[in-house]
Amino acid sequence: MSTSLTAPYTTAFDFERTVGPRIGVFLAGLRERRLLGVRGSRGRVLCPVAEFDPVTAEATGDYVELDPVGTVTAWTWVDPRPADPLDSPFAWALVRIDGADDSFFHRVDTGGDPSLLSSGLRVRVRWAAETVGSIEDIVCFEPVTDDEPSGSAPSGSAP
Amino acid sequence: MSSVRPSTATDLPAPVRTISAPFHVDYTYVAGVGRSVYLRGMAERRFLARRCPGCGQVYFPAPQHCARCLQVLDPPFEIPGTGAVSTFCIVNLPFPGQLVEPPYVVAYINLDGTGNKLQHRVLEVAPGDVAVGMQVEPVWTDDDRLEPSLASVRYFRPADPALRDGGHDA
Ligand SMILES: [Zn+2]
Repeated sequence: MSTSLTAPYTTAFDFERTVGPRIGVFLAGLRERRLLGVRGSRGRVLCPVAEFDPVTAEATGDYVELDPVGTVTAWTWVDPRPADPLDSPFAWALVRIDGADDSFFHRVDTGGDPSLLSSGLRVRVRWAAETVGSIEDIVCFEPVTDDEPSGSAPSGSAP
Repeated sequence: MSSVRPSTATDLPAPVRTISAPFHVDYTYVAGVGRSVYLRGMAERRFLARRCPGCGQVYFPAPQHCARCLQVLDPPFEIPGTGAVSTFCIVNLPFPGQLVEPPYVVAYINLDGTGNKLQHRVLEVAPGDVAVGMQVEPVWTDDDRLEPSLASVRYFRPADPALRDGGHDA
């Protein structure tokens, strides 16, 4: 009688939450498989879109259209959890989108092989088969292959 | 080469206003040696309390150490599980997983013989008839549903049968 009881527990809340008006445009762009950025202070391009410049706290300005291609700047390798859309291990990474001055935090899928990943790797967006206006419209980033130009039109819009 | 192209207001999509942001955590609850005593009692329809040898405080549910003087509590002893409503609220909002159809009362109950309060439902009484100081008694679940959990107590009800309305059955 001196041992401790244990039990499996689950805590869950089905939250629905509002997003800011500018982040809302960014998410709506994802639904159209478009990657939008926004001008922050001193002309810096922020992608993903932020409501306020993270350095100066000033409201952000005009939107810009970006190619869904970038460069891995940092990453960490993880096993997939039940909620992740990938079945094999992948990286959570910072990706600097071409033309942006900050980093995009998302998954990078190299098919489960960490040796294919490095800082400096060129990657592109893999769009979800069905887009709804959510950050998960981007399933992940994946390596840019040799036989495609790195600044091409968004993938997923092809037939 | 620049991949940054200005976007005019006219070609921007209408903003998304809300997103689904579910929160979900699976974990293992570890009751601890002290609280496991009371939980095992629940599976046997027993309220097992423990007294502090230092300050005399009686706890239900009891931890392993007194919250006031940190002494290890004495061995468990049984209390009747009756008590008095200390404070209460009337739950009117429905929510997922709710066990009782609102409106119903959730109360803090001063269990007889203890120095702390227990939160539980007070049913078999119209919410408007519940009062601070009302004497209540536990209603246990059926034998085949007893478990090492406070869920073995389905709810509390007025100790005086004349105050019960019999209308609620959780
Ligand atoms: Zn004490």
